[in-house]
Amino acid sequence: MDFDFTPVFDSAGYLLGGVGTTILLSLLSIILGGVIGLAVGLGRCYGSRPLALVLGFYVDTMRAIPVLVLLVWMYFAFPIASGINLPPFWAAVVALSLHSAAYVAEIFRAGIQSIRSGQTRAGLALGMSTSQLIRKIILPQAFIRMLPDFGSIISRTIKYTSIATVIAVPELMRRADTVATQSYRPIEVFTAAMVAYFVMTFPVTRVVDGVYRRVAHRGQS
Amino acid sequence: MNLDWSVVFSHWPLLAHGVLMTVLLTVLTMLIAIPGGIVLAAMRMSGSRVLSLVSVCFVEFFRNVPIILVVYWAFYVMPVLTDLSLPAFVTGLTALAMNNSAYNSETFRSGLNSIRKGQREAGLALGMSGPQTFFKIVLPQAWRRVLPVLASAWVSLFKDTSLVSVISVGELTYTAMLIRSQTFRVMEMITAMAVIYWLMGYPQAKLVDWINRRYGVSE
Amino acid sequence: MNKANGGDERRKGAGEKPMIVYGNVKKNYGEFEALKGVSLQVNRGEVLCLIGPSGSGKSTLLRCTNGLELIDGGEIVFEGTSLGKDPKRLRQVRRRMGMVFQSFELFPHKTAVENVIMGPMTVLGVSEKAARERAMALLGKVGLESKADSYPSNLSGGQQQRVAIARALAMEPDVMLFDEPTSALDPETVGEVLNVMKVLASEGMTMVVVTHEMTFARRVANWVVVFESGAVLEEGLPEKIFGNPSQPRTQDFLSHLGWSG
Repeated sequence: MDFDFTPVFDSAGYLLGGVGTTILLSLLSIILGGVIGLAVGLGRCYGSRPLALVLGFYVDTMRAIPVLVLLVWMYFAFPIASGINLPPFWAAVVALSLHSAAYVAEIFRAGIQSIRSGQTRAGLALGMSTSQLIRKIILPQAFIRMLPDFGSIISRTIKYTSIATVIAVPELMRRADTVATQSYRPIEVFTAAMVAYFVMTFPVTRVVDGVYRRVAHRGQS
Repeated sequence: MNLDWSVVFSHWPLLAHGVLMTVLLTVLTMLIAIPGGIVLAAMRMSGSRVLSLVSVCFVEFFRNVPIILVVYWAFYVMPVLTDLSLPAFVTGLTALAMNNSAYNSETFRSGLNSIRKGQREAGLALGMSGPQTFFKIVLPQAWRRVLPVLASAWVSLFKDTSLVSVISVGELTYTAMLIRSQTFRVMEMITAMAVIYWLMGYPQAKLVDWINRRYGVSE
Repeated sequence: MNKANGGDERRKGAGEKPMIVYGNVKKNYGEFEALKGVSLQVNRGEVLCLIGPSGSGKSTLLRCTNGLELIDGGEIVFEGTSLGKDPKRLRQVRRRMGMVFQSFELFPHKTAVENVIMGPMTVLGVSEKAARERAMALLGKVGLESKADSYPSNLSGGQQQRVAIARALAMEPDVMLFDEPTSALDPETVGEVLNVMKVLASEGMTMVVVTHEMTFARRVANWVVVFESGAVLEEGLPEKIFGNPSQPRTQDFLSHLGWSG
């Protein structure tokens, strides 16, 4: 068993380009997912009954189908259904955002509901409007409790970007695959890719654990 | 747009087989990953520094590396490691099992840690041995906290089985995509694939919600 | 007889071989010295109360007595044999000592009677029928026969603690160790637990009680040990400690707690 990591170093630039795409894809999906998720979460809590039902259906659907299937559908089927052609990168952004938004929405919903009643009454008694209530009282408090869960979503999204390889998005997984097959050194190349993902995700999970340890004790007996 | 949904129905035996493979992968993985998780948690919480370190490294590694990469990596590494030519199913199963064992071990660990130290001490004070306190006092209380998380993990796993399609394991995704490339019915097959997953996944997600309501611990 | 208590013959059980002897016991948590060389004895049949400020090491000494914590120096001798560190031996020792915790630590997944039969059945191999009989008798003794099938979550703090006492008694121990048994209780329920302890004392049970309940110590204890900063400050008969202590810091401590002699 001899290992030869030279292909990794020879293609370092190419692979790092993949890392860049991974990071970009992650960032866009996290931000978009966060915004959409917040809207959906608020919609489920404060929206009309029909709206809440539709949004609920959307969230449960995202929980029911694999990310891979969503990605593939976005890239191959959506253009046929809508006539809009999405380049692979953007198909991935849309798919990942929609997927993570559902989980973000759930976190918001649970977080908001955990603070609602007493605080809501207090705020309304002071004469606040619903939107003021949300912005000034509920969200700030809910936010802290939701931080650990958000952290999990961030690290999961980074890992999910690797699935975009199946629709040929030039992120790290894809590029590693290319280099691996061309150099006939798959073990070395994939090991290097693993290290790269570890370096990207580990800090996030570490911070989440740290925050969780500090926040969780509030809820424990 | 000219759609022909009959391809879905004419290929239903193949799709059913794919579904079966998906379910089989999920079940087998959990059968390995639950004891696996327990072993890893036990190693982590044992007094031994070496065992603890090995466990931590294993768990942190699999928490931070994407499954699809593990699948690819396993595909190339396992034949070299074992000197055998292994079927893709086994490779895929191994990758999924290792990943899930890592997550499960964290679940078990936090479940066990959530039981107050005094409970174990009360058992010891009565003269019970360590294992007795574990099986009669700690475990019966911890499983209620562990169950909802395991249920979620099950559903995630069920979805993650789609990833082993990249090494040509004949589960649902692979099968559907194969039919697509043979019949050129892209929209129909991909949508059908999504719908079939949805039909299986939606009830599971709802079941997890129910378990959370029923067994979820509210402090 | 050790020099520390001056060999007071009025002490209950004096003249007989002591049940527990602590010889220069030391215990550290990292840099912190929780016990700095404690030498004491517990006589057969006496109620010994450990009093003193929080963090002075009283609970630590108690937890070392049944091996929940291991000591770092000196030795603890129970019924003539040194405790040691062997887990099997410690388990034997624990079967003969009953412990009652500040936080009760009833098993929440078991009913009151199931809690009480746990020890005898699991550890002593007693049959369920015999264990239940004994358990119901003990629950009757602590006044909770009617609550036998209740879960701890449906019992008040005082009730839970009384079940905990029954649970410890089910093992028929030679000595009962109480670690601040009433500190976590509402004032209304403190009395019911102290009453049970009084009955036990009157029946001649050897008891080591860490407590802040000075009235109980004054009235029920046969011997009082005052702890401070991991060492024995003074010890003696209750009349002496509460009426005429020799150490000024004992007086300080007692007056802090509102004890006006």
